[in-house]
Amino acid sequence: MSSAEELYKQLADAVVDMDEEKAVLLAKQAVSQKVDAYQAIDKGLAKGMERAGKLFEDEEYFVPELIICSDAMNAGIAVLKPHLKPGTAAARHKGVIGVIEGDTHDIGKNLVKIMLESSGFDILDLGRDVPPQTFVDKAIEIGAELILMSSLMTTTMDTMGDVIKILIDKGVRDKFKIAVGGGPISQAFADRIGADGYSKNAAEAVRMCQSLLA
Amino acid sequence: MNAAIVEVMQKTGNELPRAHHSGELMAALAYDVHRATGFENFGIPFCMTVEAEALGSEVDYGSLKCEPKIAKEVFGSVKDVRCLSSGIIQNTKRAGAVFASVYELSKKHPDIPVTGSIAGPLSTTASLIDPMTFLKELRREKDEAHRVLNYVTDRLIEYAKIIADSGADIIGIADPTATGEILGPKLFEEYALTYINKLAGAIHELGIPVIVHICGELRMVKAHLPRLRGDALSVDAFVNLRELKKETGVPVTMGNLSTYMLEFGTPEKIYRAARGLLKNDIDILAPACGLSTSTPLEHITGFTQAVQKT
Repeated sequence: MSSAEELYKQLADAVVDMDEEKAVLLAKQAVSQKVDAYQAIDKGLAKGMERAGKLFEDEEYFVPELIICSDAMNAGIAVLKPHLKPGTAAARHKGVIGVIEGDTHDIGKNLVKIMLESSGFDILDLGRDVPPQTFVDKAIEIGAELILMSSLMTTTMDTMGDVIKILIDKGVRDKFKIAVGGGPISQAFADRIGADGYSKNAAEAVRMCQSLLA
Repeated sequence: MNAAIVEVMQKTGNELPRAHHSGELMAALAYDVHRATGFENFGIPFCMTVEAEALGSEVDYGSLKCEPKIAKEVFGSVKDVRCLSSGIIQNTKRAGAVFASVYELSKKHPDIPVTGSIAGPLSTTASLIDPMTFLKELRREKDEAHRVLNYVTDRLIEYAKIIADSGADIIGIADPTATGEILGPKLFEEYALTYINKLAGAIHELGIPVIVHICGELRMVKAHLPRLRGDALSVDAFVNLRELKKETGVPVTMGNLSTYMLEFGTPEKIYRAARGLLKNDIDILAPACGLSTSTPLEHITGFTQAVQKT
């Protein structure tokens, strides 16, 4: 194993081990050893997050662990980012994400965002309690391919359907892939409102989004 | 559980969000809901934000069809939480409305049980502190997290006691943040079990039974459930209550008709599902989680009638 590869693995391990300080230290080491910053993120930190996501799916890690892993990853990325060579990063799929109007439960949405970003998606976070029109406007504004919505309340989930109605009225429905998630949401609900995708957790959401755009 | 559906409120004019602020209206609405739906109790209040608002967070009262929610958590970290003095929840106007409506309903209708619902310790705390930070700190700042949860639980106990004194027959503790799906088994045991039990234990001392509602999948926390001090356990739709009862010895099971089915199913399907639950020896039949306020009344009566025909 080359020293760069060894470093990637250590970066990944630091993320999986929830060790933020070590992730920062190793990222600085990568910079000083002139290891390619993009590779250090992609093969190191993001790889670690992918492994953390797998542990989450296997129910070894839960939400608190996943958030701490993502903090470690982001701390490492913050060190490496200024050293990214322009143009090295591959083109990233763009999406908007948010919790639908009326609802402020955003833990699930945040996890999906974390996992998608670590998998190479460019995600604009619209936050929580987001009106349907804002999803549409922002998605058009940034040229998003994906519109991702969540709701934890049965009282608010229907509003997600309004986003799709607005897109249809504007004649732009086909420009986007739309996916939904959240506690009371199911595949049946996604089908009913005419969404393209549904996933039950953040790790699955990454595969779902990848397949929607494949 | 909030069973105030739009159809009922529009018929009687006793509407949310106004009823969140007035004891009289809250009681009137609870009575309307009971009459129209056939649910055999009164459930008070119609939201889960009275506690967190009293402890400092900003609440958006929602609308006719949308329940109140936390607009902004007051603290950024468990380390920032300043403990407010004893009595802080019960001295708020909204808590006063809850007490007044419980009192009125229990006096006017002594034969119908009044359930006073309170937000559980973890959910209340996650409404005071940014939830992403709070969840991390359950691992990273254990001492401070326990300090804050003890404080919140103490305030909830005081509040629950006055609801009980006002005439509630049952206290329901709903703690959606305390689900094993979010916390995992270890943190569920360390925090959810500890503080729900502390709260339930204090309510038991008043001689009042406690219903505990746990959201989500229970598989990973099943081992801890025999130690949960609720008299009845209410769960989500996908939990097999019959098996759960056998495996954990939970004394009274409550649930768990899918709220999705209640909203979008046909009355026949709902009727059949309710009969299925009855056959499974579930002790208290109820919706599995928060009812959508857009649920058609006909669907709910289909559900309650299936039970009452036995």
